[in-house]
Amino acid sequence: MHDPLPPLGREATMKKIPVTVLTGFLGAGKTTLLNRILTEGHGQRIAVIENEFGEIGIDQALVINADEEVFEMNNGCICCTVRGDLIRILGALGRRRDKFDRVVVETTGLADPGPVAQTFFVDDEVRELYALDGIVTLVDAKHVALHLEDSAECKEQIAFADVLVLNKADLAAAGELDALERRVRGMNAMAKVLRATGADVPLAEVLDVGGFDLGRALATKPTFLEPEYPFEWAGTFDLDEGAYELALDEGPDETMALAALFLEPGEAAGERDPAERAARAWSAPATETDEGGTVAVGAAAPHVLRLEGAGAKRFRLVAPKAGRVGLYTQHLPAEFRLRLERDGRPVAPAAERAFAAAHAHDATVRSVGIHLEGEVDGERLNAWLSKLLREQGADIFRMKGILNLRGSPNRFVFQGVHMLFDGREGQSWGAEARASDLVFIGRNLDREALTRGFERCLA
Amino acid sequence: MPGLTDAGAAPPAKTELRPRWRLDAGDYVAAAALSRDGARAAIGTGGAGALLVVDAETGREAFRADAHPGGVLALGWAPDGELVATGGQGERAKVWHASGELWRELPGGGPWVEHVAWAPAGDRLATASGRFVRVWGRGGEPLVEAGPLASTVTGLAWRGDGAALAASCYGGVHIWSFAQGAAPRHLPWQGSLISLAWSPDGKVIACGSQDCSVHFWRLATGRDSEMTGYPFKPRALAWDARSSLLATAGDATVTVWDFSGKGPERSRPLQLAAHSGVCTRLAFGPSRAVLASGSQDTSVLVWEPRRGPKPVRFAFLEDEVTALAWHPAHRGLLGADAAGNAIYWDVALGGA
Repeated sequence: MHDPLPPLGREATMKKIPVTVLTGFLGAGKTTLLNRILTEGHGQRIAVIENEFGEIGIDQALVINADEEVFEMNNGCICCTVRGDLIRILGALGRRRDKFDRVVVETTGLADPGPVAQTFFVDDEVRELYALDGIVTLVDAKHVALHLEDSAECKEQIAFADVLVLNKADLAAAGELDALERRVRGMNAMAKVLRATGADVPLAEVLDVGGFDLGRALATKPTFLEPEYPFEWAGTFDLDEGAYELALDEGPDETMALAALFLEPGEAAGERDPAERAARAWSAPATETDEGGTVAVGAAAPHVLRLEGAGAKRFRLVAPKAGRVGLYTQHLPAEFRLRLERDGRPVAPAAERAFAAAHAHDATVRSVGIHLEGEVDGERLNAWLSKLLREQGADIFRMKGILNLRGSPNRFVFQGVHMLFDGREGQSWGAEARASDLVFIGRNLDREALTRGFERCLA
Repeated sequence: MPGLTDAGAAPPAKTELRPRWRLDAGDYVAAAALSRDGARAAIGTGGAGALLVVDAETGREAFRADAHPGGVLALGWAPDGELVATGGQGERAKVWHASGELWRELPGGGPWVEHVAWAPAGDRLATASGRFVRVWGRGGEPLVEAGPLASTVTGLAWRGDGAALAASCYGGVHIWSFAQGAAPRHLPWQGSLISLAWSPDGKVIACGSQDCSVHFWRLATGRDSEMTGYPFKPRALAWDARSSLLATAGDATVTVWDFSGKGPERSRPLQLAAHSGVCTRLAFGPSRAVLASGSQDTSVLVWEPRRGPKPVRFAFLEDEVTALAWHPAHRGLLGADAAGNAIYWDVALGGA
């Protein structure tokens, strides 16, 4: 249905005007950030397209208030949904010899960022003159938890972001902030995450983001392409032979799966090899364990601890011999205030590590990153992506990739929004190791199927 | 299509149009028009939003006014050539005497006035601003308001007899009749219409659509059809004076549909291919099937589509063509571009 977008005659030669889109719920700090962009814009001529009346009064900027007009097309295709008001206004702003240096679009709090982003892919007039530089989503660090569970718009705004600003960080406890950051990174692994108070982020971090710059995302967060595991936490303990006590308070779930494995001396539970062993053990049928039951270190299968009912629950953890033990838990221990004790004294881990949450193939918004060595065949890739986006485009919010295409000395960089994608040759590989990275953000993403599909594109 | 490409009516040799005059309007020309008697040209610019009125014979500037700071978006001559209406980035349409005096300011109802249209008899002026359409009387008095419509109005046109007015927006076309007791009419279309052209005989309304199609309605029956397959959204639409040819463009090729006989359904359109960039403007001559087209590639071409698929005249501006307007007797063609150049060419076409 949608082929890669055709090239436009003048697109390659003209310098395009960068557009920054600000999203976030009402009160998250969009207007504060906008005012900072305008006052510290270093003499740039900025046009602002606003959808909520804010406290803006800057002489240098043109501020246009527009009604969000979301237009669906007759074919009902989700990716053809665009912002008609933006097309008209951006068209009119382009009708001057002396163009603006930058455009900032502020969306309403409840806006779905999809139509805004798609406007820059779908409309040929807009594409000629403008380039979507970045989607910056402001998150109220103190109150976002209220929306994260039940608001589709909130999840989409996070999923679409190139930059996530956790604003009002001064109002949230450090632990809350860490948990929020883990949460949003799990949803959107390719965004840059910044913490701010009063939207006091360096402007260079939110402007000139360059929608295509996956390379920077990889550089700033090289871990996000690591495989995901069925557990969120790994703790390394040095245990003596005998029985320990595991205590858990009530948590967000009525069960908690965990596995305890012996490690090699010197190994840490969070390292790749032991984590892979734990993941294999995890795939065996789990043993349901009631309160007071026993978890055996070195068992070939995980235990599912049953935690129904009020109050703390206690279990026995028995080490048949002394040694280094990796304890892998389905959820973060802090969510259940999990503690390991011996004779009433806490036993602290020698090391611990949290992993990105990986809830396979459900409606949760998350990221799937795939790293492939070897050259990719352009035609196979095109066929695979076309089919994938035709079938799952509605669930795939964004997609970015840097590809090692057979026969090309240069990187091939591309990005997509729902069913639309747009790619071009990037920098030369030069002496660097060639490899392909592909990231999907969306719902109902099946990591294994995506990985298999991508692997079949190898030349 | 038989008849249209008849080799017996071979076009004359392709020749370059000779400029009569040229001027620098100072900024991107957003709109231009010639008065019905061909005596005056009006040019509106982006940026500063200037209105220039020029003697069309000599190119001499009669006046220049800062009409709409931010940019002019639309302009139109009253049929008597004494008044010119402008709309732009601002809440008011303005009506100017040809001498340069500002005669009326008319609040359009929205933040920008994006369309102005004089009724053919000059007794009414319609403005579209945001989701509102307003109609003003001969003295600038408000007569009628319609709105808020479903979305911002994207096209505005009077029927040839001046008895009805149509506006396009997301979701379809609205038609208001000025006959006693007539109810407004809505032609629904689930999609974003971006332009509107009413055939001079009043029988067909054609609209460009954001989804890369041209949609049209036959008003007698209300039946609608669409032409698809445009690679980009069709930016330009134009009817010839006899309401038999509809010229459209979504890319470099001008596609002309023939509405005579059984109409364009199931017919193959005439494809006029000579521009190398996207065609941005189309204008049929006021009384003959002479078509001017302008492109992003800076070229302006003149065609006689009934005689053949090759251009009969050519000329160049210096940037994307943003406006085209014909002299009423086809003796001249006004073109303008995104860099602010306006050129008036003498046109001498053989035959009648």
